[in-house]
Amino acid sequence: MSALGDILHLLLTANLWQAALAAAVLLLLPALGGVISERSGVVNIAMEGMMLTGAFFSVVADLAWHNPWLATLVAIIAGGLMATIHAVVSIQFRADQIVSGIAINIFAAGLTVFLINRIYGLQDVGHVGPTEGLPYIDVHGLDQIPFFGQVLFNQNVVVYIALIVLVATHIILFRTRLGLRIRAVGEHPQAADTAGLNVFAVRYSAVITSGLLSGLSGAFLAIGISNTFVPNMTDGRGYIALAAMIFGKWTPFGAFIACLIFGVGQAVYDNNSIIHVSPYLLSMLPYILTLVVLAGVVGRSTPPAADGLPYVPGSE
Amino acid sequence: MSAEPNLAVDMRGISKQFPGVLANDHVDFSVRAGEIHALVGENGAGKSTLMNTLYGLIHPDSGEIHINGKQVHITGPRDAIALGIGMVHQHFMLIPVFSVGENIMLGREPVAGPGFYDRARARGAINELTKRYGLALDPDARMGDLPVGLQQRAEIVKVLYRGADILILDEPTGVLTPQESKELFRVLRDLVKSGKTIIFISHKLNEVLEISDRITVMRRGRVVGHLTTKKTNEEEIATMMVGRAVLLRVEKKPATPGAVVMRVENVTANSDQGVPALKGVSFELRRGEILGIAGVEGNGQSELMEVLAGTRRATGGHVLLGERDITTYDARTERDAGVAFIPEDRRGAGLVLSFSIAENTILGRERSPKFSWRELVLKLVAIREWARRLVKEFDVRTPSIDVAARNLSGGNQQKVIVAREIGSDPKVLLAAQPTRGVDIGAIEFIHRRIVKERDEGAAVLLVSAELDEVRSLSDRIAVMYEGRIVSIESPDTPEERLGLLMTGGGQAREGAA
Amino acid sequence: MPLGSVLFAFVVGALILVVTGANPLDAYSGLLCGGLGLGCTQGENPALELSNTIVFTIPLITTGVAVALPFRAGLFNIGAEGQMLAGAVACTAIGIKFADLPTIVLLPMVLLGGMAAGALWAGIAGVLKATVGAHEVVTTIMLNYVAQWLIRFLIVGGPLELTSGTSKSHPIGAGARLATLLPSDNTLTVFGLPASVYRVHVGLFIALAAAAVFAFLLWRTSFGYEIRAVGQSQKAARYAGVSVRRTIILTMLIAGAFSGLAGAIQISGIDHNLTDKYFSDTTGFDAIAVALLGLGSATGIVLAALLFGALHSGGAIMQSDAGISSNLVLVLQALILFSIAANFIGAIRRGLPFGRGVTPTLPTELPPAAGLMSEAAAPPPEKT
Repeated sequence: MSALGDILHLLLTANLWQAALAAAVLLLLPALGGVISERSGVVNIAMEGMMLTGAFFSVVADLAWHNPWLATLVAIIAGGLMATIHAVVSIQFRADQIVSGIAINIFAAGLTVFLINRIYGLQDVGHVGPTEGLPYIDVHGLDQIPFFGQVLFNQNVVVYIALIVLVATHIILFRTRLGLRIRAVGEHPQAADTAGLNVFAVRYSAVITSGLLSGLSGAFLAIGISNTFVPNMTDGRGYIALAAMIFGKWTPFGAFIACLIFGVGQAVYDNNSIIHVSPYLLSMLPYILTLVVLAGVVGRSTPPAADGLPYVPGSE
Repeated sequence: MSAEPNLAVDMRGISKQFPGVLANDHVDFSVRAGEIHALVGENGAGKSTLMNTLYGLIHPDSGEIHINGKQVHITGPRDAIALGIGMVHQHFMLIPVFSVGENIMLGREPVAGPGFYDRARARGAINELTKRYGLALDPDARMGDLPVGLQQRAEIVKVLYRGADILILDEPTGVLTPQESKELFRVLRDLVKSGKTIIFISHKLNEVLEISDRITVMRRGRVVGHLTTKKTNEEEIATMMVGRAVLLRVEKKPATPGAVVMRVENVTANSDQGVPALKGVSFELRRGEILGIAGVEGNGQSELMEVLAGTRRATGGHVLLGERDITTYDARTERDAGVAFIPEDRRGAGLVLSFSIAENTILGRERSPKFSWRELVLKLVAIREWARRLVKEFDVRTPSIDVAARNLSGGNQQKVIVAREIGSDPKVLLAAQPTRGVDIGAIEFIHRRIVKERDEGAAVLLVSAELDEVRSLSDRIAVMYEGRIVSIESPDTPEERLGLLMTGGGQAREGAA
Repeated sequence: MPLGSVLFAFVVGALILVVTGANPLDAYSGLLCGGLGLGCTQGENPALELSNTIVFTIPLITTGVAVALPFRAGLFNIGAEGQMLAGAVACTAIGIKFADLPTIVLLPMVLLGGMAAGALWAGIAGVLKATVGAHEVVTTIMLNYVAQWLIRFLIVGGPLELTSGTSKSHPIGAGARLATLLPSDNTLTVFGLPASVYRVHVGLFIALAAAAVFAFLLWRTSFGYEIRAVGQSQKAARYAGVSVRRTIILTMLIAGAFSGLAGAIQISGIDHNLTDKYFSDTTGFDAIAVALLGLGSATGIVLAALLFGALHSGGAIMQSDAGISSNLVLVLQALILFSIAANFIGAIRRGLPFGRGVTPTLPTELPPAAGLMSEAAAPPPEKT
């Protein structure tokens, strides 16, 4: 009972929610990428690999140029390039999108370690200096608001970017012509094609966007939080983001709420000094939580009608 | 050679090869401006290939296209739209979760500010169009909620919104009631009056004769005739389509109905969407008779067949097979009890397309003692023997029983299903759309086999969207409307009366529940 | 087609090596030496390298089957890794707990225990898929992570740890161990090395038997027929009276048992205890490539497993001889997957599928791609 009481007490602190939001954003960016990609009809389980690639190249670039902004740009491009592979293989060549996604993830895991070895010998990557990471920004004035000030306005720069991307994704998908077209292609590519839309172009841009966002998330993880790269450091976050997307019923804000749930779980785990359980057992929690979430909600959410189906022009 | 000035469409020497089929073989096809031109032929004759070529969805291997006298190169629907060509596809190109307005606007959406979809302007444009052509539509309705007739109307408005002068309609009446078809024809005549050109693809000859000015007939990828509607008749077109004289009537002896085999009592069931689709259906089915169910698609016929076949759960009522209550039987136990089922979705539900013919002939019976040892190990030799017997008896045209079902023609695929289901000597045969989309040869064969089953004492329940088929095969006709059997009629009831009953009008005669 | 995919991977792999300033010849000769014992330059013993390749091949065959079987049912089992780890844990736990029992009792116990644990692990995903429609790709991946952390928990300060700080478990009893083909006798010399260094064990025959069982089950039984029917068309299977739910759950249970067996064989035949090498094991992921490359046939799976066994065994030699990270093997594996999935070779042969008018040729071997939670993923409505 007291452990439960401790957790409840923890849930009332601004510290926890500040950490939860940051952890949620790490998942939110790839989850939004997933929403965009799957709304256009391309199943994307490759966020994990795109994120890992972004993380790796952000560290490499930051160590080389000592500029976190440039490093972040490199990470975004790297994520986008991985996504381009997924796009070519699954859109142009109509490959099974799950196989392609798995291949991307294996590719990223292998390539990053292989490149560590090529660039740094068989040693560690090394750490990014404290001033060379992505900065935390206090919004002066607003950060003085009790509780919410600390949670919302005392965060890493990526958190602000992610929240802007969240709102923008929602508006673009549901209010603009572009969003209408993306959704049309994901629901019924034949209808979109016969209406004169370029199905391939829409799908390519959507998939590549998912890579850009995942790459950004990777940079946040590597040079915003950890200040280094370790092999497989994404630890399944890309997959959890995927689960968040499903839980959120393929909507940006739905995915955000799911990410927040995971973020709170992560923050509780990070502050676990008061919970006396093996850290290894606790480490299972996000994954078990994902299973529970999927078990509880999935049957009632419907994906875009053409999600996962390659488009063959002239077919019915 | 210069084109005749008044030709809206002139396709010359179009050829298109698909793996194993020459879908279009040097096809010449021309349409005069301002006419309704019918393109007729059996399924697989190459009509859709030709029209998809005109609309840019398929690239021909050779040949040229002239629109309004100018040679054009169509690389995709965008080019076709720019040339004033619009197409209403057989399977509607509509997005059910979008609004009518969004569907119509897609690809040419009005925008406000930095790319925001402008709902108000979209609504205005649609209202203007629907008024001009007398095609009432609510731009804000959700497309998936509309009846098929209105969905088709939305497709036509969508094409008009894109400024089409040449409209291609692929089998537009297939999903419509006789009344809705009449309404469509009125719209088409109005469109022609306002200067549009219409290409009308159909295999229903009476409609073709009613609506068109000229007719092009295709068979096996070739054009076999150009006809003027006023100077031809149904028999001539049918003979051209098939390449031989066609029996337009099914020959059968009068039925000698025996004892009641299946009794359906007040059955209710829901559709896939969870709304009531059957609202209390009752009837009796006797040995040695064919009971046909007439009705506009979507009035519960599919659900009724599925309940009887055990693939859909009844929410109420009883189904009795002899004295046995089989209401809760699943597909397997239904089959074991002697109920055979030819499902309407041939490619999706009737066959596993990647399986060989031999494998498909035991689908659903793979655990019967005939084909497996203790329900476990397959008896491969017995299966192959069985498959060879069926292929021979049911005239399935295939080089071997190891050919994947996918590689058979529609007619031969259907013969495999019919063979499997009839081959098990059922007490009751449920046949849903048994001849949909197959060639006339196969239709004749399947009809003969169904009548033969009846004559050998089986009870047959037939559902078909083709009123002609129901009338010519059935010994009694049950008319379904909105989940109920509204009347049971004799097969020589006039088409007009059936049409009226199918749409909720008319006076029921007997057995209405 | 499979050979073309492998060739494609090696060519692109060579490009990556060249771009990153490494010599592909060095890398590939390292792989060749470590994998097949051919062309060794630094005094490696070819027989020993071949033996190591076979040791790697054994679990790849069994887990390959565990991926290939559900694949036939239209299920993507990404969880062979987790199921294998569960099998390894069960085998270890039983092997320690009942260490004193004789071989004839204990050996079947540890192997069956491993199978049961693997089946349980996969069964969770199967039940979730069949009842609420949770996509097996996501659930099996999550279960992989859970299994990895479970092993950490057990052997780092946990109940199975040998002594504090060792990060490995107690060894299993002698009766729980599979015999090696050659006697573990240092006085016997085979190909210039003591016989005990050759670790090939009777698990090889168990793995080959598993492949045979897979083929028989799939092609000669009515259940295999139903698995294939469900994989190709759930609707047709349902109309035929096949219970899609039951088939999905049973298929996952059987697949999990195969993976669990792989884990048990690894412990029982090679390691004899759980160690930290299981934290970063990738056998279950390699199995995906094995299953796809082997086109889902028993012979194909054995050959593909041999290829990846050779790559893994060779990766170690490449790393030590040529100084190139053995992770290149993962890169090659991903390239093979891309190539199989996209059918690059076929595409190149028939002209690249750019633009319209190219006729679709979907690989008939693969079940139709199913989106996350698409028709194929949703729980089928069934009569009860």
